[in-house]
Amino acid sequence: MAPVEVRDLTKRFGRVVAVDNLSFDIRSGRVTGFLGPNGAGKSTTLRALLGLVRPTSGTATFGGRRYEELERPSTKVGAVLEDAAFHPGRTARNHLRVLAVTGDHPLERIDAVLADVGLTQDADRRVGGYSMGMRQRLGIASALLGDPEVLILDEPTNGLDPPGIAWMRALVREQAARGRAVLVSSHLLAEVAQSVDDVVVISRGVLRGQGTLEAVLGGDEGLSTIVHAQDNERLARALEAAGHPVKPDGEALLVPGVSPEQVGVVAGDAGIYLVGLAPRARSLEQAFFALTGDATS
Amino acid sequence: MTSLLRAELLKLRTTRTFAALVGAALALSLIVVVLTASLGNDWSAQNTRNLFTSNFTGLFILLLGVMGMAGEWRHRTISATILAAPNRLRLLTAKTLSYAAAGALLSLIVTLTIMLVGTIILAGRGIDTAPLSDLADVLWRDLVVAALLGALGVGIGAVLRNQVVAIIAVLVLGFVLEPALYGLVPEVGRYGPTVIAPSAIVDVSPFGESADETLLSPAPAVLVMLGWIALFFAAAAVRLRSRDLV
Repeated sequence: MAPVEVRDLTKRFGRVVAVDNLSFDIRSGRVTGFLGPNGAGKSTTLRALLGLVRPTSGTATFGGRRYEELERPSTKVGAVLEDAAFHPGRTARNHLRVLAVTGDHPLERIDAVLADVGLTQDADRRVGGYSMGMRQRLGIASALLGDPEVLILDEPTNGLDPPGIAWMRALVREQAARGRAVLVSSHLLAEVAQSVDDVVVISRGVLRGQGTLEAVLGGDEGLSTIVHAQDNERLARALEAAGHPVKPDGEALLVPGVSPEQVGVVAGDAGIYLVGLAPRARSLEQAFFALTGDATS
Repeated sequence: MTSLLRAELLKLRTTRTFAALVGAALALSLIVVVLTASLGNDWSAQNTRNLFTSNFTGLFILLLGVMGMAGEWRHRTISATILAAPNRLRLLTAKTLSYAAAGALLSLIVTLTIMLVGTIILAGRGIDTAPLSDLADVLWRDLVVAALLGALGVGIGAVLRNQVVAIIAVLVLGFVLEPALYGLVPEVGRYGPTVIAPSAIVDVSPFGESADETLLSPAPAVLVMLGWIALFFAAAAVRLRSRDLV
């Protein structure tokens, strides 16, 4: 049984369908990117998984049990939500003390997780004076306090500076290396692409793809060629006759799944002069946009 | 439940709000007792007893309960709190009990302090203090009222959720609506949860005189307070359990 299973999950808010019949699993020892544009339903899915939002139908479970059914849930699941907030008048150490007492965790864990996230020096400062990055680190420390099997991070790089983003990437890799199942949601593919093994892509609440990063976003067409000939119509006929369908691309032609060399050979054999010839690999972003149908995110 | 109670009490102790309200309750109560004990001239047995009911803990623990619960929404910590304690009914119960306990403890400190200070001042003026049985009577009544108001505050905070609105509502209810209703229709007003019923438990008039006949007796007043707490708790539980936290 997968550590996290989402099955036929649907959540409606009035007439709005935030999540529509969504199913996916995440695995231990791997980082899964939960990707989609803003408003895709990622946070709603995570909140349904964590028992904060009641599904209209379907299930979201950890090892087959709903979050609220888990005994000592903080030992099974650690989560940092997008709007992770803390009482501004409480110090980081006291915040963790409250969580340690609630979850029956040994108080020694507090110093350990503070060290893990690099907050030891600032542990006795009130959280109201923390930067966004420090709050994210405290959120991670809170999630790690119970040494959980599953780590869920909702948009963890929001508000982080480049060193903070690099730190976060290293942290999620390290957590997966320790055998944890890590689920990281983001609307920015570039910020998680370097650290995820698997991806689950959703848009408008609907699953658009899931599997390894390469399988889902590596580009199902592989290398493509963009070619511009003196006579595009003739070249298109020649390429199609050679078994290479083409698509118009402005003043040029796009030949999916075919290298420039192959296109050049076809054009040469047909005696067609080429004005331009170049490879075009589909980027991760383009694949992401193609899947989500949203080029604006 | 024990862990949740300990955690809620720890939450209370680790913010400045708690220290500020405790300090304010103690200071205000002491000012009134010091001034009354130093300047008062009519020291009948009833007035001596009333001196030691000048305990402002009730108002502050009521506000503390409101802020402790509504503050979870104000500071957007409610999601994290429920993640740590996913059983929402147990969480609400723990908060209610912890604020009741905090109220009783706060009242114990304030009441003992004002009794000590008031007795010293009266003794310095050659005036007999209230008998020990009266002091013990005042003490338990104060403790019960503070515990009940702490629990009530949590219920009000959980129902209203908006901290500012909840605080204003409690102040308007306690300082305007309840006294007005009690003055106009005492048979109805005596059931007021924030001032009138608590006054009946302490056995003093809400307007600073000896208890009048329209006030409830202490035992029914306790039951009325428990009824109000149960009402707000039930409404809060329904609201907390049925609502999505988005």
